[in-house]
Amino acid sequence: MTAVAQTLLLAQWQFRRQAQMLPLLVVVQVLMAVATVIGYGLLVGDPSPEVALYLATGAPTVTLITVGLVMTPQVVAQSKTEGSFDWMRTLPVPRPAFLCADLLVWSLLALPGMVLGVLAGALRFDLSLSPAPWVVGAALVVSVTAASVGYAMATLLPPAVAMLLTQMLIFAVMLFSPVSYPADRLPGWLAAIHEYLPIEPMAQLVRAGLAPEQFDVPGRALVVLGLWCVASVLGAVAALRRQG
Amino acid sequence: MSSVSTLRIEGLSKRYRGRSGVQANDDISFDVAPGSVTGLLGHNGAGKTTLVNQVVGLVRPDRGSIHVDDVDAVTRPHLARRLVSIQAQANVPITGLTPRLAVELVGRIRGLNRPEAARRTRLLLDALDLGPWADTPAQKVSGGIARLTAFAMTAVAPGRLVVLDEPTNDVDPVRRRLLWTEIRALADNGSAVLLVTHNVREAERVVDHLVVLDDGRVIAAGTPAALTAPMRGDLTIEIQLSSAPAPEWPAVVKDAESAGAHVADQRRTATIRPEGAADVVRWAQEHVDAGRLERYSLTPASLEDVYVRLVGVDGPADAGAPAGATAVQAGAVA
Repeated sequence: MTAVAQTLLLAQWQFRRQAQMLPLLVVVQVLMAVATVIGYGLLVGDPSPEVALYLATGAPTVTLITVGLVMTPQVVAQSKTEGSFDWMRTLPVPRPAFLCADLLVWSLLALPGMVLGVLAGALRFDLSLSPAPWVVGAALVVSVTAASVGYAMATLLPPAVAMLLTQMLIFAVMLFSPVSYPADRLPGWLAAIHEYLPIEPMAQLVRAGLAPEQFDVPGRALVVLGLWCVASVLGAVAALRRQG
Repeated sequence: MSSVSTLRIEGLSKRYRGRSGVQANDDISFDVAPGSVTGLLGHNGAGKTTLVNQVVGLVRPDRGSIHVDDVDAVTRPHLARRLVSIQAQANVPITGLTPRLAVELVGRIRGLNRPEAARRTRLLLDALDLGPWADTPAQKVSGGIARLTAFAMTAVAPGRLVVLDEPTNDVDPVRRRLLWTEIRALADNGSAVLLVTHNVREAERVVDHLVVLDDGRVIAAGTPAALTAPMRGDLTIEIQLSSAPAPEWPAVVKDAESAGAHVADQRRTATIRPEGAADVVRWAQEHVDAGRLERYSLTPASLEDVYVRLVGVDGPADAGAPAGATAVQAGAVA
C-alpha cells in the first residue's frame, strides 16, 4: 500500500463523509464568492474600472482563504469533538497523507466558488479577463497555504478556541487585508504588517494570474508566500505528529 | 530482541501536566501473548484509555517501554501502528458512509486489496448479522449497529495486536454473543487481543488473562481462575431493594468478613461463606415478605465480586490491604 493510494482512500473517506453537506457547502461557497463581489460593489458605490478590477480579482482569493482558514479548521475541530480525529490517527497512515487528503477535498470544494466568483465579477463590472494558465497552480498554492495554517491551528488549539479564531480571521481577511483594494489604502503600520503576512502575496498572485496584462507579481510576494507555504505545511504535519 | 509476547509493557508511567496533574499510568507492566485475549479492567479514569493511546503513539509516556512484537512503540510509533488495530471507546462517526463501505475502506487503508477487503467485510457483516444494515446510510443505524460496525472496521484487517475498547456497549444480547465469538476468533487466528472493559461479567467468559487497573496502577493480574481462587466456595447474595432505606445485612454477612459489598442504584450485593447460605436466604425471604426487597438471588462468587473487592465500591482501594479492609456495609452506603 503506497502513501499515494492511502491518501486517495482517505480523501474518499472524507469526501463521502461530507457528501450530504457537499451541495450545501458548494452553494455557500458560490454565494460567498458572488456576495463578496457584489457586496463590496455596494460598499464602494459605483466603482471605477480600476476599483472594479481589484474587486473582481480579489474575490477568488477571499474564497480560497475562507475555505482554508475557516472551513478546514471547523471541520477538524468538529472531528476532534466527535472523536474521529484521534481514531483516524491510530491508522497506519503517514501523517502527511491526512493533510494531503483533506487539502485535496477542500481544494476541490473551493473550486466552483472560485470560478463562479470570477465570472460574477466579470459580469457585474463588465470586465474582460484573460487568465494565464498558471493561475491554476497559483490557486493551489494559496489554497494549500491557507488550509495548512488552518489545519495546524485546529490541530493544536482546543476546538472552541479554534472556531472563535477563525471567525476573527475571516473579518481580518475580508476587511483589513489588501485583497479587494490596494495596500496603499491601509494605515502605514497595518500595511507594514501585511508585508510579512501571506494574505497580500496570495491576492497579488491570484490577481496577476487572472489579469496578467494589468498586474504582475512582485518577487518579494513570491518569496513571502513560498516561505509561508513551506512553513505552514511543515507546521501542519508537525501538529499532526504531536503526542499528548 | 526476541519475544513471545505480542504486546510487552514495562514500567509504563504517564502523568498529565496541568492544574490537576493526574497520574494516569503508574509503573504499569504486563504482556499480551499472541492467540490470547487479555482483559484490561478498571473504573472510569483508571488509566485504560491513556494506556491504549500510548501503544499507538498518540500519547508519549514519561517512563517505561512498550513493544509490539519487536517494535519499540515509544520511539517508532509509525511502525507500531502498522501492527495494531484499535476500536476506540467512542464510536467513530461514519455519517455519509454505509457500514459496508466504511469497513471496506478501512480494510483498504490498512493494506488489503479491493477484492480481499470486500470478502473480509462480507464475512464479518454476516458473522455479526449486520446484513440487513450493511447498505443503510450510517445516520440511520442504531448505536448498537454503529458499535458493531466499528468492531468490523477494526477486525477487517486485524493487526498483530487488536485493542477493543468497550466493544459490547449498546449491542443487543443476541449480537453480543456473535461479537464475543468474533473476538475469540481474532485470537484463535493468532492476534493478541487486549479487551478494555468494565463489563466484568461478560469479560469473564472470553478472556484468558486479566489485568485490573486502579488509579493508574496494576492491582491484580492473572487468569480468571487464579483471581477468583481466594473466593472459591464463596457465595454472592444479590438483593433488589423495593424501598429505602436498605435493611441491615444479617450477621452472617459480617461474620463471613464479606468484602465487596456493592451498590448500584437499588441493587446490593455481598459475599458470604456457604455455611451462612440458609441464614441469609431466611433473612432475605423475610424482607421480601415484608416488602422491603423486590427479589434476591444467591450465586457462586464471580469475577465481578473479586473485581469489586479489589477496587472497592466508590473509589481507589489499597491493593495491599487485607481482604475485608475494603468491605462496606451495604446498609451504610444507601
